[in-house]
Amino acid sequence: MSESLLQVNAVTKTFGGLHAVFQVSFHMAPGEIIGLIGPNGAGKTTLFNVISGFYAPSKGQIHFKGQDISGKPPYKLAVLGIGRTFQVVKPFAGLTVLENVIIASFAKHPKRRQAEQHAWRILETTGLADRANAQASSLTLAGRKRLEVSKALALEPTLLLLDEVVAGLNPTEADRTIELILSLRNQGITILIVEHIMRVIMNISDRVVVLNFGQKIAEGIPRDVAKDSGVIQAYLGEAPQ
Amino acid sequence: MSRKYLLLILAFGILLSVPSVIHDTFFLRIITEAILWIGLAISWDVLAGYTGYLNFGHGAFFGVGAYTTALLMKLCGWSFFFALPVAGVAAGIVALIAGIPTLRLKGAYFAIATWALSRAIQQVALVMDITGGPDGMRLPTFLHPEFFYYLMLAVVGGIFALYWFLLEKAPFGLKVKAIREDDQSAMSLGLNPTWIKLQAFILSAVPTGILGAIYAYWITYIDPASVLGDLVTDQAVVMAVFGGLGTLIGPAIGAIIIFLFKTYFWAYLSDYQVLYLIILGGVIASSVVFLPNGLWGTISGYLQTRKSSKQEPVSQGNSDKGAHHV
Repeated sequence: MSESLLQVNAVTKTFGGLHAVFQVSFHMAPGEIIGLIGPNGAGKTTLFNVISGFYAPSKGQIHFKGQDISGKPPYKLAVLGIGRTFQVVKPFAGLTVLENVIIASFAKHPKRRQAEQHAWRILETTGLADRANAQASSLTLAGRKRLEVSKALALEPTLLLLDEVVAGLNPTEADRTIELILSLRNQGITILIVEHIMRVIMNISDRVVVLNFGQKIAEGIPRDVAKDSGVIQAYLGEAPQ
Repeated sequence: MSRKYLLLILAFGILLSVPSVIHDTFFLRIITEAILWIGLAISWDVLAGYTGYLNFGHGAFFGVGAYTTALLMKLCGWSFFFALPVAGVAAGIVALIAGIPTLRLKGAYFAIATWALSRAIQQVALVMDITGGPDGMRLPTFLHPEFFYYLMLAVVGGIFALYWFLLEKAPFGLKVKAIREDDQSAMSLGLNPTWIKLQAFILSAVPTGILGAIYAYWITYIDPASVLGDLVTDQAVVMAVFGGLGTLIGPAIGAIIIFLFKTYFWAYLSDYQVLYLIILGGVIASSVVFLPNGLWGTISGYLQTRKSSKQEPVSQGNSDKGAHHV
């Protein structure tokens, strides 16, 4: 257990009387890519928000690097090494692409000059360097998703939470993003990814966690999960007898 | 870029030489007050333009600074130069106490809360004995227009330089803008929005308190209506909005234009004084509708699109947000 980077223990998040996430447990080893999947409304984004500190869990604990982080605010977790992207991208629209990434770089490089150098390095790896001085609002959706990843990466995270960074991209753009994700893993970053596109999840994940109605219904290597009858039922509905 | 700063330094140099050229105390007083309003407009804009939080109680900090100075000088016999920094600190403490609960709120609630706070502080000054109630307070007189001119110029120039450094050069400026643009994203990047907004609020309040201190000693008479009334806030808001939020030059330009208009109006059209507030209201309403980026924002946005369309013919639509630069 001491090996796991992230340990989610029986986490429940309740809104009013609704269990958006109910008793979900899983763990992540360093360097793993875990795909988090499930039908719409299964609680994936809520679980993301709980892990990244935007919601405090109603019950259960989350341990990161052996430390209990349940209920800590996002800005503390960001400094501890949890980076995240948002499903609905949130660029700082009125600022330039470079400025967006500089802001994120301040977490590890408080001086302006160092932060700027670091931001350039990040933009080189994510392929946005040629758009560095453009307004963030002028980027295409693919560019904005890339910017979202760049900002999270600028935190130099050990754990990266990616919320649908491939959805909505055309096949070429999608392939570039997948390449980027795999290269990040090779740098030693542990990645939890939510994605609707099964081709992506099945190809890049080491393990998959499946949620339905807030509960974990399956976990395992992609091949096994794809055959799991509970998972098939959740996605396709009850098979007629 | 550097031409802009050269112009600023040139303007400052011209202002430095004003008292040696203009010996008419009336005009010197007008220019001194115009500089005061530049200070009030930019200090209001630090919070409103850079974080997006509209403070409708800005005058409270001005009044707290003025009353702190009056009380210290009259009751404790302090000299002005010791009272001056204390006035700034007092305004900062009010901002700290008011900001901790209210800066967690969304913008509209913050606006209401600050407005209520300023009304409450005015009421306190009205009912207390030591502040002289509605009669106000008279300060020791020091009739030396040139002294106040140079003091005002030095302080407002200092405030401008401090803001310019913190907001346009130091990391703080980008952090503040990040929170204005999207506080959730800012939070996920390690920024604590409440703390940063609180810093901006104090950065807005302390200089305002110091300006209140100078005003009190300069005018030598303060009362709840003159230093704690709505008009201080309202004029600063109109100047900043008219000039262009989120910049330093915009509110300064707005302050000069609105203040000169007001002075002209009151000096030469005094029969129509009642119209002043109506016109002020009209200006704010129409600049919100027709110049959402303010005068300076519109001009610099226009120049920017022209420049970028010259450089790259297929420019991406960056005209609307181009205003957020000095």
